Amino acid sequence: MTQRISKSKRARMQNPILQFFRYIRLNLKILKIVSKGHGSTRDVNYTK
Amino acid sequence: MAKILVLGAGISGHVAAAHLRRKLSKEHQVVVVSPNSNYQWIPSNIWVGIGRMKSKEILFPLAPLYKRKNIDFLQAKAMAFYPEGDISENKPYVLVEYVTEQNKGKQEKVTYDYLINATGPKLNFEATEGLIPEKNKTHSVCTYTHAEPTWKALEILIHEMKQGKNVKILIGTGHPKATCQGAAFEYILNVERELVKRGVRDKAEITWISNEYKLGDFGIDGALLSYGGMTMKSNEMMEMIFEDRNIKWILGAGVTKIEDGIAHYENLDGEYKNETFDFAMLIPAFSGHGFKAYDKNNQDITDKLFKGFMIVDADYTPKPYEEWKAQDWPETYQNPSYANIFAPGIAFAPPHTISKPRKSKNGTEIFPSPPRTGMPSGITAKLVADNIIDSIKKGTMSLKHKGSMANMGAACIASAGYGRTQGSGVSITTYPIVPDYVKYKNTQGRDLNKTFGEIGLAGHWLKMTLHYAFIYKAKMKPFWWLIPE
Repeated sequence: MTQRISKSKRARMQNPILQFFRYIRLNLKILKIVSKGHGSTRDVNYTK
Repeated sequence: MAKILVLGAGISGHVAAAHLRRKLSKEHQVVVVSPNSNYQWIPSNIWVGIGRMKSKEILFPLAPLYKRKNIDFLQAKAMAFYPEGDISENKPYVLVEYVTEQNKGKQEKVTYDYLINATGPKLNFEATEGLIPEKNKTHSVCTYTHAEPTWKALEILIHEMKQGKNVKILIGTGHPKATCQGAAFEYILNVERELVKRGVRDKAEITWISNEYKLGDFGIDGALLSYGGMTMKSNEMMEMIFEDRNIKWILGAGVTKIEDGIAHYENLDGEYKNETFDFAMLIPAFSGHGFKAYDKNNQDITDKLFKGFMIVDADYTPKPYEEWKAQDWPETYQNPSYANIFAPGIAFAPPHTISKPRKSKNGTEIFPSPPRTGMPSGITAKLVADNIIDSIKKGTMSLKHKGSMANMGAACIASAGYGRTQGSGVSITTYPIVPDYVKYKNTQGRDLNKTFGEIGLAGHWLKMTLHYAFIYKAKMKPFWWLIPE
């Protein structure tokens, strides 16, 4: 086994308080991507 | 009055039917044909496969819901397509065969004005000799009926490990061109975590086997992503996770045959090797259902509708990887020969793969097929439904709603262990799903502001949130439509 994730980082990854704020942030980030929507790649405006 | 026929009641078919019913008045008829009696939230099957959820928590019966919502439901399977009707039937129709006890084998012509083919993939276990769920020590989490016995087998194995037995666990893809690496990735991390929790991790050698060229390819050609304030390649992130959990990996492996506890595979160097195991979960190849299509005079026109999966508005011109463009990917999922037929989700034939195609030295193609599961399935189903709704209301074909996978984001929230405070998740978003190497030429085809990875407990909570939110949405409870696809 190679410890690639340090103990302090692992503690942050499992800290419920820190992770609660990360959870809120993740939700907002994903919502931002979803709300941007989707569309065509063939329209003239696509590359702009 | 218009009649819309939806084939399939998975994520794609169910989303389409729900939106059609909500936005169309009752004079219009929505008919769903599916051989399955239940709706299942497939992403949670991995938790059934580790015994952390019961299958009843991820499914519900379709018939009572559809009855309440005024959606006609036929528990039957599609047999053949007649997009022009036939000599005795003027309207286009699909020939279906009932699968319920009382009507088993009875066939019926189900006519339509618009057809949504959301039949998803056939889980083509037969494409790999010996790969049969619950046989030869191989298992599956593709459906809840597979995931339940998979947990039983894993539970027995854990018991044997507690008695002191050392075991080998093999998880990954079971065919040279399999897709859905994400599900296998989730499962291997969950199994590893369960073994830790049950105090038997030291008794297991866990190995990932995959047709990917690099870890983290996931059938989307990998990704460059933002992680913890730096930019990282997806293969580096996955290597970090696997090394940290002492999971070995075999890449560029096309599994061709399974014998009792032995996986035979060919690698990209053309070597024929095998890997032994006590428990394996290998994702099978996905294929089309082999539907046939006929014109009004009963002539075979299958080539107009199908290319394995259904032909849509993609550019299917064969060309080398270097010439692939974002514009090759479909936008409306409409069949070019029959304007009233659409195929969202996994049912549409992709123009080509997303990952770079590779061949072994013996000429065997070993690379992932393109994934279209989850979020893209829901998004494409909704836009197809919206176009049909507009067309019905305007009285003329409308294709205003478009959504190419090369101009669409996706969030992949992969569980990495179950538990309210001890759980973990790997959250990855990519924008776009299909890389556009012209528009985002310096960032491997993707927008780095929207392509990121996170690891931690928050990912598990998010996956749980999605589980409850999407089952709420699928049950069409109040304001379900506010939850995005």
